[in-house]
Amino acid sequence: MRRHIPLLVEALTAIGLIATPFVVPHLGFAPDTVNQILTWGLFGIGFDLLYGYTGLLSFGQSAFFGTGGFVAAYLLTNNLMANVPLALLIGIVGAAVAGVAVGVIALRRTGIYFAMITVAIAETFFFLENSPLSAWTGGENGLPGVPTPTFHLFGLTWAVGTGWSMYWFLAACYFIGIVVALRIVRSPVGAILIAIRDNPLRARAVGHAIGLYKLAAFVVAAAYAGFAGGLLGVMQGFMPPDAFTFDTSGQLVMQTVIGGGATLFGPLLGAAVWLYLRDFLQAVVGLGAAWKLVLGLVFVLLVTFLRRGLIGGLVDAVALLRGRARPAEAEGDAPAISTEPPPLASIARRRRQDDAFTGPVLEARGLTKTYGGIAANRDIDFTVTAGELRAVIGPNGAGKSTFFKMLTCEVPPSAGTIRFHGRDITGLDVSRVCQMGLTKSYQVNQLFARQTVAQNVMVAALAERRGIFRLDLLRSIRSVRGLQAQVEQTLAMVGLAARAEVPVAELAYGEKRRLEIALALAASPSLLLLDEPLAGMSPRERVETVQLLKNIRRGRTLIVVEHDMDAVFELAERITVLHEGRKLAEGTPEEIQRNSFVQDAYLGGVAAE
Amino acid sequence: MITWPNFVSQLFNGLASGALLALISCGLTIIYGTLGVLNLAHGAMFMLGGYAGYVAFQATGSYVVAVAFGALFLVVVGAVIERVVIRQFYDRPPEDQILVTFGIGIVIVELVRLGFGSLTKTVPPPSWAAGVTPMGFLIYPTYRIVVLAIAAAALAALYIVLYRTRLGMIVRAGIEDSGMVGMLGINVYRVFMLVFGVGAMAAGFAGIVNAPVVSLTPDLGESILVQTFVVVVIGGVGSFPGAILGGLIAGEILSLTSMVNPAYSEVMLFVVMTLVLLLRPQGLLGLKGRA
Amino acid sequence: MQFARSGAPKRRDVLKSGAVLAATAALPGFWMPMAQAAEDQPAIGTWPAGSAGDSVFIGISVPRTGTYAVQGEDELKGYMLAVEHINSGDPLLRAISPKTTKGVLGKKVTYGVADSEAKPNTAVQEQSRFISQNKAVLFTGSTSSAVAVALNKFAQREKVLYVTGISGSNDTTGKDCVRYGFRQCFYGQTAAAALAPVLIKAIGKDKKAAYLTPDYTYGHTVQKSMEEYLKPAGWTTVTNQVAPLGAPDYSSYLLNVANSGADVLLNINWGHDAVLSTQQAKQFGILAKQKLVIPYQIPFLAKEVGAELTAGVYAATDFWWTLQDKFPLAKMFVESFEKKYGYKPEWGAENAYMSFAMWADAVERAGTFYPPAVIKAFEAGQHIQSMVGEVWMRAADHQLVRPVVIVQGKRPADMKSPDDYWEVVEIVPGEGVMQAPDAFGCKLGPYT
Repeated sequence: MRRHIPLLVEALTAIGLIATPFVVPHLGFAPDTVNQILTWGLFGIGFDLLYGYTGLLSFGQSAFFGTGGFVAAYLLTNNLMANVPLALLIGIVGAAVAGVAVGVIALRRTGIYFAMITVAIAETFFFLENSPLSAWTGGENGLPGVPTPTFHLFGLTWAVGTGWSMYWFLAACYFIGIVVALRIVRSPVGAILIAIRDNPLRARAVGHAIGLYKLAAFVVAAAYAGFAGGLLGVMQGFMPPDAFTFDTSGQLVMQTVIGGGATLFGPLLGAAVWLYLRDFLQAVVGLGAAWKLVLGLVFVLLVTFLRRGLIGGLVDAVALLRGRARPAEAEGDAPAISTEPPPLASIARRRRQDDAFTGPVLEARGLTKTYGGIAANRDIDFTVTAGELRAVIGPNGAGKSTFFKMLTCEVPPSAGTIRFHGRDITGLDVSRVCQMGLTKSYQVNQLFARQTVAQNVMVAALAERRGIFRLDLLRSIRSVRGLQAQVEQTLAMVGLAARAEVPVAELAYGEKRRLEIALALAASPSLLLLDEPLAGMSPRERVETVQLLKNIRRGRTLIVVEHDMDAVFELAERITVLHEGRKLAEGTPEEIQRNSFVQDAYLGGVAAE
Repeated sequence: MITWPNFVSQLFNGLASGALLALISCGLTIIYGTLGVLNLAHGAMFMLGGYAGYVAFQATGSYVVAVAFGALFLVVVGAVIERVVIRQFYDRPPEDQILVTFGIGIVIVELVRLGFGSLTKTVPPPSWAAGVTPMGFLIYPTYRIVVLAIAAAALAALYIVLYRTRLGMIVRAGIEDSGMVGMLGINVYRVFMLVFGVGAMAAGFAGIVNAPVVSLTPDLGESILVQTFVVVVIGGVGSFPGAILGGLIAGEILSLTSMVNPAYSEVMLFVVMTLVLLLRPQGLLGLKGRA
Repeated sequence: MQFARSGAPKRRDVLKSGAVLAATAALPGFWMPMAQAAEDQPAIGTWPAGSAGDSVFIGISVPRTGTYAVQGEDELKGYMLAVEHINSGDPLLRAISPKTTKGVLGKKVTYGVADSEAKPNTAVQEQSRFISQNKAVLFTGSTSSAVAVALNKFAQREKVLYVTGISGSNDTTGKDCVRYGFRQCFYGQTAAAALAPVLIKAIGKDKKAAYLTPDYTYGHTVQKSMEEYLKPAGWTTVTNQVAPLGAPDYSSYLLNVANSGADVLLNINWGHDAVLSTQQAKQFGILAKQKLVIPYQIPFLAKEVGAELTAGVYAATDFWWTLQDKFPLAKMFVESFEKKYGYKPEWGAENAYMSFAMWADAVERAGTFYPPAVIKAFEAGQHIQSMVGEVWMRAADHQLVRPVVIVQGKRPADMKSPDDYWEVVEIVPGEGVMQAPDAFGCKLGPYT
């Protein structure tokens, strides 16, 4: 496996960059085209982190490209600074600051809103640069006369010129860019960004402050854009006004998609294809202005049929060939759950401040939720003591899901309070509540669908290990203490240890359900809510999962919503019955079975099914 | 230059350009509301409507035929694009839908450039609306007043379709709850195709009606698209009344700011959008929780 | 010195560093073959590589899309005709460049064309490609002064000669002038100086003027120059509406103009912007109350907006085809252009043709493609024939001293042919109207 050779990708990149000037001239690339490709490629690294890895499609990257470029170019052309790298660095900082300001606004929304807002904000930047700020940016003229850097090292002087001389400078910058990006991708933050892309809801629910992580990705992307923008000015000796236009953002998006997202190198490849085709179609084929039509069609076809771009397509093709060559690499049978409790105690769980609390684990008072005048839950009081296994039952539409969502702070109650370990958690964010030790597994699987089993669990374990937010962008994920052990033990507990490297998509349904529970477990909750853990399972899977629940209840408080009455009565110490949004009854299984209201309202109905 | 006459002039101008923006934005918003697809080719469709009208005008010399053809042509184009491309994308993430419509937009623009060149094309206003209308101190091109009237009428027609017909009921049901349409036992795909066609038509219709005002270039749609986004974000994505309100607000902002300094018009537009986002993220008339 | 270069001295610096850099020196970019040329003519820019073969290459970037596309195509045709004439030794070209036989110094001229979209960035990138890939000895193209200024600086950095296309900004041969750039055409200040007396005579003194100005160097400098030359006659500016390039609608600007109480509307917008703003000014009833003036004439404007709109309108221009009645070279040019392209050339084509012809002349007189020598030939101030009479290059700012042509739009009824839009009112000699060469802060920079 590639990842086991340290710095392999870095080494290959360096070799590729060094070899380029000797190889590409034979392919018809001029040095200036190569230099442009490098600049676009660097610009694209940041965008790939934002879109490919984090899933945030921004059409406003030109804003930061221009900001970084103009800050650097302004410093360099107005004799404020002669040191090119320092000016570039200030440009990067300027772009990052702009990224914070824009990100705070744009990231309030997701999806199409986010895309539209970034477009609009980038246009604002363009208009500002073009007119009100033209004294600094040169307006429509841009800033001509940006110098190239000169380096003095060990008594040597290297004055960067144009053409291939400039290439070495840009290649060095690109190399720095890719090394940093690779570290980010391999850091805990990188794993969390991917998780946010695949399932933001769950990434948040396992305890990550996804808003801050998204902002971090946005700012990193802005910094890369600023870096590339500064280099554009240095490369051309001219900082153009059109760096700010929507076209720039659009071209970046298209190049990244053509090359392939979530690859870091996709934008570079996309830029190469784009610029090569541009020159080829114009000069050789003689298409003139129609070259853009061809690229547009290529783009539409790629989006429709080869969604992961050229690199993705290549990877898929290789995987397909390999898959045919080695069909023996199939998965074994799903192992059963051990009746032996796994040694969970050996994992050093992070200490929480509430560990010493001795009162009820969870105490809800007067919980009410109304949707447009219709009450889903009305005035529910609910108390769970430490170590208890509580079941919540009720017919469909009784309001169990809403009730659960309120308990985990996924939705705020319309009225009432929730106390967890004595602390009022009403209205807190779900990620913060999870960090306090309260989480749930979902009725409908909420997994990180494009990841392996181990990676899934790792996302949750990272939240437990690192807390709600930490910006360890350059730290290797393997250096997070105890992470690997926690993942392995969690997987062992749910019986998925042998399936650790299997992509989620290849799991059987029952396995997915157990992984769903594992995600909640990996957060080391003191109170775990399970929303219909047995839903949709075969009889054999049910038996296994019931055993699993018995195993994991040790040292934990559990609340289970379940329709399977046999399982409920086998597992639960106390049962709460919801009916039409109200609490109908509460008591031991025996008391509930005897309760005539419950029999009328609910159990009778089930029996008749 | 802030004087009373100029203020009233610009106020009226804002209304005229705002009504047109509202019409285009309605197309965008009903497509998004029903299909859940943000159509980045909307600006290109606006432009294409103008060119379609131009072709019809060249052939017949009739303004009415040009407008009718421009609108109908876009219904067909919209329906075909939905059937051939967009339909592949309903099950894919919104980002993919954005990308593919962005690509379609480029293809449309470049096809028009290929077919008509970069030279501007003009459609003259109809002879009965060619002059100027003195309105007290304000002299206003008659045709722009006609555009205002046409846009208002088109919006009223859209309103009737949306709120008084079966198709409108389905579309609105789709906006409220996209799962419901399927449950009503309706051929969802046919409705989607129709809605995309109608949405494209709103843009194309606006494009041909506006053609005598601006003269046509293939790049006409880009700035309109961005303004449409602002309109929709201000008004609330998926909200028909929101698009109208947003359109009028945007038109007035652009026009009134230009009294002081036209360079700040667009900036002011985005400032207002940002304010709306901060204070009322779902837009002025948007439904909460639909984002 | 403002720009670092990859010239010989630095290479020597690098090589001085010896063994450490031995490895890197083998890499492209660090190592280039030492110039085979004589010591007094070291390798510079694309010299001598660009003229080593039996042909030389010119990079042409004109806008073929966007706001200035129409004018760009016309320019391009002028360039192509000039190249054809250089290679064939056409009599017209030889009248301008007497030493020309066929080609330039016996070498065939070839060229590449790219679409600059009227964007400085695109233009710089394309020229950079022409220089590195094709070893262009000359490059040209601009229909926007923003592009011209950017390419000026680029020429100085790359040490490759540049002749501007259309560029009306005072800055092109003013504060942004360079040793390696040359301009043939008229510009804001000369336009204003030539046009203002005509306007004052025709329209009167103490008028209120409104301006429509595109927001970049061309617009700003032309506006300033017009204001300056009209001021002594008591003209005041009541409003200056500055619009971005490619604005989709001018209604807001025009309402400001309509309510400004101006007597005269000076529309400095250019290309499609001029077409649109002029048409809309008509729609807003402004042209009925305010007299339209086009300080910097736009090729094809009259054709696009219709002669009704330009009737009576004064404009300053570089060239109009009816000058053929007065100048034999103009006649030759209009005839051969029309024969080849089927329409009467506009001034963009004339400017393009003249720029190449003058370059050919300078190279022939220098007897070498070595750029500093060619520059010195340009700077010699040689009087040459042109389509508007005798002209010469001013050494101090690389601006051609040439007449400004004042035209007035004909009424449709007065037009003798479909192309007969303008009447030449006056041909104002260049010396009288041009500012002192240092008035706009020109510092040309070094030869090498």
